[in-house]
Amino acid sequence: MKPLLSAVVVSAALLGSVTATESALAAGTFRLAHDVGYAGAESLDPISPSRFFYANQFLYSRLVRQDMEGQPSPELALNWRASADATQWTFELRKGVKFHDGSDLTAEDVKYSLERIKDPKIDSPVAAVLGVIDSVTVLNSHKLRINLTSAHADLPLLLMDYRVRIIPQDSGDTIATTGVGSGPFMLDELDPEGTTVLKAFDQYWEGKPASDTVEVIGIADAQARVQALLAGQLDFEDSVLGQQMALFADKSRFQTNSIATGEWRALVFRTDTAPYNDVRVRKALRMLVDREQMMTLVSGKGGGTVACDTPVWSGDQYRTQIECPQDIPAAKALLKEAGYGDGLEVDIYAADNEPEWIRMIEVYQQQAARAGVKVNLKIAASDGYWSDVWMKEPVVATRWSQRPADQVLNEAFRSGASWNETFFSNAGFDGLLDQARQELDYDKRKALYGKLQQALWQQGGALVPYHLNQNRVLGANVSGVDPVENFSIRWNKVAVVD
Amino acid sequence: MTSDTHTPVARPSRARQVWRSMRRSRAAMVSLSILLLHLLLAVFAPWLTPWDWTAQDGYNMLQGPSAQHWFGTDNMGRDIFSRTLMGGREALKVTLLGTLLAMGWGSLTGISLGLLGGRLDEWLMRAVDALLAIPWLLFLLLIISTVGQQSWVLILTLGFFYGIAVIRVARGATLDFVARDFVMAARVRGESNWTIVRQELLPNVLDTLLVEGGMRWAWMLLAFSSLSFLGFGVVPPTPDWGLMIADTRGIISIAPWATLFPALALSSLIISINLSADAFGKAMGLDRAKAPV
Repeated sequence: MKPLLSAVVVSAALLGSVTATESALAAGTFRLAHDVGYAGAESLDPISPSRFFYANQFLYSRLVRQDMEGQPSPELALNWRASADATQWTFELRKGVKFHDGSDLTAEDVKYSLERIKDPKIDSPVAAVLGVIDSVTVLNSHKLRINLTSAHADLPLLLMDYRVRIIPQDSGDTIATTGVGSGPFMLDELDPEGTTVLKAFDQYWEGKPASDTVEVIGIADAQARVQALLAGQLDFEDSVLGQQMALFADKSRFQTNSIATGEWRALVFRTDTAPYNDVRVRKALRMLVDREQMMTLVSGKGGGTVACDTPVWSGDQYRTQIECPQDIPAAKALLKEAGYGDGLEVDIYAADNEPEWIRMIEVYQQQAARAGVKVNLKIAASDGYWSDVWMKEPVVATRWSQRPADQVLNEAFRSGASWNETFFSNAGFDGLLDQARQELDYDKRKALYGKLQQALWQQGGALVPYHLNQNRVLGANVSGVDPVENFSIRWNKVAVVD
Repeated sequence: MTSDTHTPVARPSRARQVWRSMRRSRAAMVSLSILLLHLLLAVFAPWLTPWDWTAQDGYNMLQGPSAQHWFGTDNMGRDIFSRTLMGGREALKVTLLGTLLAMGWGSLTGISLGLLGGRLDEWLMRAVDALLAIPWLLFLLLIISTVGQQSWVLILTLGFFYGIAVIRVARGATLDFVARDFVMAARVRGESNWTIVRQELLPNVLDTLLVEGGMRWAWMLLAFSSLSFLGFGVVPPTPDWGLMIADTRGIISIAPWATLFPALALSSLIISINLSADAFGKAMGLDRAKAPV
């Protein structure tokens, strides 16, 4: 009997210590910043064009999420399978999932969430990605079938989109301010220009989150965010330049990691506006760039992976190899052919939202000057940049987070897509996009995505010089943030020990 | 031995008196020398810089001071010495013209109001009070973000805003003279207001205005650099001290030289203007502590 008693006592002690550790971890507030890019109009509606990027990641769950390698893995969906022709996909839902308002997740909620993406009143940028969804059929309370307008072999990849979040049925009219989802944190106070406070959701389907509170603090200026991090006012920041990483060398205060990602910063030229509506002009403006030098000067040596104006990153299965060395004579010849033999003046609008932007333009100024192109930097206000400048001025700086090939190509370059920032409109390109989605043979599909990337290099209006290595800095007392790109982080595991 | 006690002794001119007085002050001489050096460097900088101030070098980013790069290099491998030499040109151009504009319209308005008095003076001075109550930085940012960051916009905006404060100073100084006999005599002679302002009042308040101009210039430099620091002044790649400080503030603990040298240049210029204006005021016999503000 004695050994049994000892075992019980030891087990109780161990259990007690585990509980105590969890309790210690549970204490604490996790603080991160956002750039107030919509001037306070940030919306908690996950598919809104002005979605509140960080807050929404804490509030909502998706059907499918990235695993640590970036591949589709179950979140609200337990499993899925496609019909033989990939036009119908059946999903089985996790049971026992609750929304923040106490209601249970059902297939009706998923149907509602997916079908509202195409609502023209919302004008969601996701519509270009998931416009392929024709309807959703509820099979039972936790099973549904997604019917597509045409075959799509990679639908789960699209459902990993950070905005394809599931909200309660019929909550669309209020979701922008209530933020009711099934994510690990629930809304306590919404103040995009100040501090938005989220509280741990005790009934989260993966268990109580490790942090009690998350604060999303509005700090428009990238440099100010770094200073706030240094001053201990933030626990997490992911737009730190390579040169600034040395500031966080003190291991007793910070932990750092650098991750190869599909994030990109770019200069985009509106293809519907003269002189950028001339394919020769925009090709020339991209050919004159020494991308390796730009990357070194802006993000430091090895600060990313050179890209030839393809948004598809090197870790994506559909990335194609393109060579794009700087070619000043060819750029000059194209400009001359287009009637700009005496030079061209380009105004580029940017703000301080991202630390790379202004430096990127300064480097571009130098490189472009060699081809007779005079680049003028026009600095705009950081807050409101996305609503007032982006997609309004003819040439602007932009940023994109990592997306799968099909998603980013459709979202950023399909004719009429609401975030088609270059206003690229090419029926042949759209046709190829459709073909690639419908092609069930992997090799043929890959070849089609390759053609699409080649088309962007030849005719596109986006100068994507490289994909960034994301430099992330965390407070030394933060745990649970895996060294993976942001969309793979499990925010419910993030803890701050006071 | 003879002596001609009746030979008239030529009195030194007012300017010479002031200069003599200033020469006796070591602070005045040092500050004037620094100011002169800044002005000369600003004029001749393009011929003095050892490197192209815009040339970027990915192999030499954030290098400390060395024989090749006396002040080191910045985060894009640019030579900080060359950029520091060039960094004052735009600031000096904009603020000098801005100060002249502010002093011109502010002085004339202030003297005229002091002379005319009455309801117009009362109403306009309340308007001046209201304008001065607006936080200056917000005021400047509002206009610049609406109209643009071109040099002429900065000159006009700074000139207008700083002229408002000059109105009070000029009016206050004028009030000391409007009741004096020589102004009354001019009025009796039927001189026009414009003639009285130009010939009777302006020469008498000029001392105060010159000192005020010096002080306004220093403040305007600070304002201009603040605007550049905030991204609303000079636009890259034009070198400017405020912009250089803003660009490198995030790495000050890694590469202090990149912030230090432009900061030294800016502060030495502002201090030299302040001290020079102060010494000038003392040499004129003005007590700045009692000067209207």
